[in-house]
Amino acid sequence: MLGIDDPQIWIAYVLCFLSAIACIIYGALKWNDGAEDEEVV
Amino acid sequence: MALSTPVLGVVMLIYLMVIFYLGWIGYKKTERSDDYMVAGRKINPYILALSYGATFISTSAIIGFGGAAGALGMGLLWLAVMNIIVGIFIAFVVFGSRTRRMGAKLGAVTFPELLGRRFQSRFIQGFSGALIGIFMPLYAGIVLIGGARFVETALSIDYDVAVLLLTVIVAAYVITGGLIAVMYTDALQGALMFVGMAFLLAFTYAKLGGVKAAHSALTAMDTLVPESLAGGGHLGWTSMPAFGSPIWWTLISTLVLGVGIGVLAQPQLAVRYMTVKDDRALNRAVLVGGPFILMMTGVAFTVGALSNVYFFNKLGVISVVAAKGNTDLIMPQYINSAMPELFVILFMLVLLAAAMSTLSSQFHTMGTAIGHDFYRQYIKKGELGQTINITRAGIACTILASVIFAYVLPISIIARATAIFFGLCAAAFLPMYTGTLFWKRMTREGAIASMLVGTFTSLFWITFVHAKEATPLGISQALFGKATLLTGTWNVIDPILVATPLAFVAAIVVSLVTKPGPKEHLDKCYK
Repeated sequence: MLGIDDPQIWIAYVLCFLSAIACIIYGALKWNDGAEDEEVV
Repeated sequence: MALSTPVLGVVMLIYLMVIFYLGWIGYKKTERSDDYMVAGRKINPYILALSYGATFISTSAIIGFGGAAGALGMGLLWLAVMNIIVGIFIAFVVFGSRTRRMGAKLGAVTFPELLGRRFQSRFIQGFSGALIGIFMPLYAGIVLIGGARFVETALSIDYDVAVLLLTVIVAAYVITGGLIAVMYTDALQGALMFVGMAFLLAFTYAKLGGVKAAHSALTAMDTLVPESLAGGGHLGWTSMPAFGSPIWWTLISTLVLGVGIGVLAQPQLAVRYMTVKDDRALNRAVLVGGPFILMMTGVAFTVGALSNVYFFNKLGVISVVAAKGNTDLIMPQYINSAMPELFVILFMLVLLAAAMSTLSSQFHTMGTAIGHDFYRQYIKKGELGQTINITRAGIACTILASVIFAYVLPISIIARATAIFFGLCAAAFLPMYTGTLFWKRMTREGAIASMLVGTFTSLFWITFVHAKEATPLGISQALFGKATLLTGTWNVIDPILVATPLAFVAAIVVSLVTKPGPKEHLDKCYK
């Protein structure tokens, strides 16, 4: 896949992108979650 | 990278002016101790993400680890996967949110203080502070060398002058502007790094005929692996090394696991979760942080490996040979020879930014560890007074130590300093830090036991077993007449894989046989 024969490598290559995309999706879905105006000590 | 043009001079000048402007803003905004230590707990999520990423990724991550990928191949991409999943997602979502909340509840302004207050132990805070103050200068030393070597070649000035110049510039804005200045300048440096690395990836694939063509060409080069690497288990640049071989152990235990997991317990990174107001900022930071790290380590490792194709097409040799055996030179040589001149200038700025952003946070963390955690909280038992001034003095002292380390230590030890420091932090802090956040039953005694077991097992392994450090250190040789006490596979297993599990066991066993902390205090920590 993608010119790489060893699955142990192309899986890592694809996972890099997938995990970064997952971070984007997580951040977008939770964009307004967790807002609080708690008193800072 | 001998390149000294008026363009570079002007670009550098503009860059430094903006850095000083941001440092000045940090100075103006610093009114209270909280501002200096945790940026007033109201940092913007984008600045948090870029600052965290830029601190995480130093010049050595791009040049050193990129060069390692040039030698070992794309197996290093597993480290990039770990960097994104563990270093960003788990760090922010699982550790970050609780750290922020508990830090605010307990009024902690540093990482050692969070640990110390959770377990109501000045010893934990003092010991952690001292550990950081003693060993972080090692790590800062190599980042300083990387940055100074760049300034030396880019501006054609003496190396010793370059070290001093870089130190004075970074120290000036860290000492005066505290963490606000550090994070603002980090964000600018992070943005520069992102743009530079994106160009690097695009240029590389374009130059080698596209993604698939570039990878295929690299795959076809597997017969060119030199004998010395093939003997260690190297099977080609797009293949994992042979399972269980020395190269496989180095790749998996030191690089992927050591650096990949060690990041969770890095004091200069953990303190950043406490700089934001709420969990929303942490969630938003994940969106920026994931792609940022992909563009840093993901690109460095891919381009490092692909440089083999470029050098083979152009010179008929692999990257290690083109760099005359020094993997640290693979990335600079590749960029110098393959990229357009304008990009070379941009990339020099990227490398300087990467060094400065990591250095500034190291200086700040070392200073607060010595000034606040060790001196004020442990020695002076929390007495108020000249906190910021003592911290500033602490920063100055540890900077001096870093500079001295940079001059005195042999190069073979310095090159290993990042991995040593990451591993030591993981062993000493990770079990205690995890317990701090997630295990109410963990006791002060359990925490102390885990910290001591982690620290001393790690130091023992570095000194007497792990060949890469033990052999050049020579302590085992002097005391016992042999380079390492154990032999075989043990010599290539990283200290983190031995010390961290032992520290976890110590934390659990000792906690279960000792009395839990006062209920009132635990309610305050976890409610």
